[in-house]
Amino acid sequence: MSETAATPSSPPPRRAQLELLVRRDDEGFDVRQIGSATAFVQSRPKRVADDSWELAEVASRVAGQRGFFLKNTTTDRFLLLTEPEKFLWEQMDGRTSLQEIATAYVLRYGAFDFDIIPALIRKLQRAHLLTLTPTSRLRQALARNRRIPVAKALEIGLTALERINISSRNVHRVFVWLYRFGGFLLFTRGAVVACILLGIAGLVAGAHLWREADTVVSGFGGHALKAVLSVKGLFFLTVAAHQIVHGLALVHYRRRVREFGFTFLHGFVPTFYVDVTDIFMASRKARVVTAVAGTLVHLVLGSLWFLLAAQAPLGSFTQAFAATSGMIQWQALVVALYPFCFIEMDGYHVLVDVLGVPTLKQEASSWVARLVTGRAPWRFGRQEQLWAGYVLLSTVSVAAFIAFNVWLIIHAVS
Amino acid sequence: MASPAETVAFLREVRLFKDVAAPELSVLGASLRERALKRGQVLFREGDVGEEMFLVRQGSIVISKPVTGRVEQVLARIGPGDFFGEMALFDHSPRSATVQSDSESSLLVLDREGLRRLTEESPRAAAAFFQALVQVFIERLRASGDLVAEVTRWGLEATGLDLDAR
Repeated sequence: MSETAATPSSPPPRRAQLELLVRRDDEGFDVRQIGSATAFVQSRPKRVADDSWELAEVASRVAGQRGFFLKNTTTDRFLLLTEPEKFLWEQMDGRTSLQEIATAYVLRYGAFDFDIIPALIRKLQRAHLLTLTPTSRLRQALARNRRIPVAKALEIGLTALERINISSRNVHRVFVWLYRFGGFLLFTRGAVVACILLGIAGLVAGAHLWREADTVVSGFGGHALKAVLSVKGLFFLTVAAHQIVHGLALVHYRRRVREFGFTFLHGFVPTFYVDVTDIFMASRKARVVTAVAGTLVHLVLGSLWFLLAAQAPLGSFTQAFAATSGMIQWQALVVALYPFCFIEMDGYHVLVDVLGVPTLKQEASSWVARLVTGRAPWRFGRQEQLWAGYVLLSTVSVAAFIAFNVWLIIHAVS
Repeated sequence: MASPAETVAFLREVRLFKDVAAPELSVLGASLRERALKRGQVLFREGDVGEEMFLVRQGSIVISKPVTGRVEQVLARIGPGDFFGEMALFDHSPRSATVQSDSESSLLVLDREGLRRLTEESPRAAAAFFQALVQVFIERLRASGDLVAEVTRWGLEATGLDLDAR
């Protein structure tokens, strides 16, 4: 993150690399090159235990600026933190990576100072207020329980899937080209109006189909499950379109598309992705539009499928297929825009951006876990109410989503 | 299984024996054993007892040192014409690192008895061998110093620790 200033005659120093050998269960091994920069951004700085530090606000010498004294109660050392540094300190819980902390910082302050995090880490380390944890909690838990066959199989599977990443970092020009030759139309008033009209038409068609749902799904005949799976497969391809529109939004706001590719999210969810981090440097409106624009692909496609289904002969396979596709597209729209589902989708990013609480999910989950295990007091201030509301709404929503899909599949099969 | 002539031809290419005359190489070749390794096979682990050194005839060997759990640091990669395991041959101590094959590999094994025979039967050849060995030791000592520096630099960069500012 902090690169030494380079001049044309002195290239930046090469980052150190370690070659590590990691043993597998099948007696084999893998050799991996780990760059220090990779290790740094993936590390999870952790504050010392809560009873080892104290924080106190200090009177500002300059009007409008807040300062904080952070004291290590073990060593009696003091640090003076600025307000942004205090914000970063609060993120350093051992679960959030430096990359996520940097994102949170940008969402909070709308700009990024490339030196602030490394400088603060150095300060905290000198005061013995910080430790760094490099691996994810899931992988740590799996590694601890390797003796359990399921955990072992999961670990092997995740490791294998994690390595599948087909991507390019040289895609900006392609997105600029796409924008220039038609993509710009998506960001016009005409496109917004068309979207609204299509959405209304799709809603009407969908409601009409819903009233005759039994007849509509009967079009699958005896192949309902197979048809639903092929609809899901087709849907997967539209995720690429979703990501492409995110990329076009970046170009629209004159930001850079750093990467586009395919990977397994969290090691098990196959997905296309686009690196939109450059939009953090743009306005809040730009961030919201970028987040929402991709999801509208599902609104448009879902509506078109519903309209097609409405036109198709009643009880035909075409109608059943189109109606199911429309339903899945609209589900994707809701899932992407609905922020309360424990998944950090587009709607969640908009919500945390608006609330100014970039780590809402992590904070809320952590608070509930501490509350359930008796490590947090039963106190409900504004912050706790927000956390409780998030976890409650998310839990109910996820349960409802699962129940709805189970009902849908059972209904379709029967 | 390689013929004696092939073994001698290979030894001639090995840096350790560059100053050893052909007849003496034949004597030495006769006292070497062949050892094949499959890909991923561990030859020996840190702490094992051993009294042999190995010449890599074919394949790629990875030398590593356990760090934590299943993770080991790679100290060196050894290819054809290079050698390893010589420390146990001289100091009778347990193996200082773990050695495994990164591909199908073929090794030639020189044990303490083979070395003793070379020393007794051809002191001149033995002297040339030891001279070359010392040169390689010096190079490896320098390389291990570089590795320590690289690992330290990695640690500083990965943790963001800036000692300059202290």
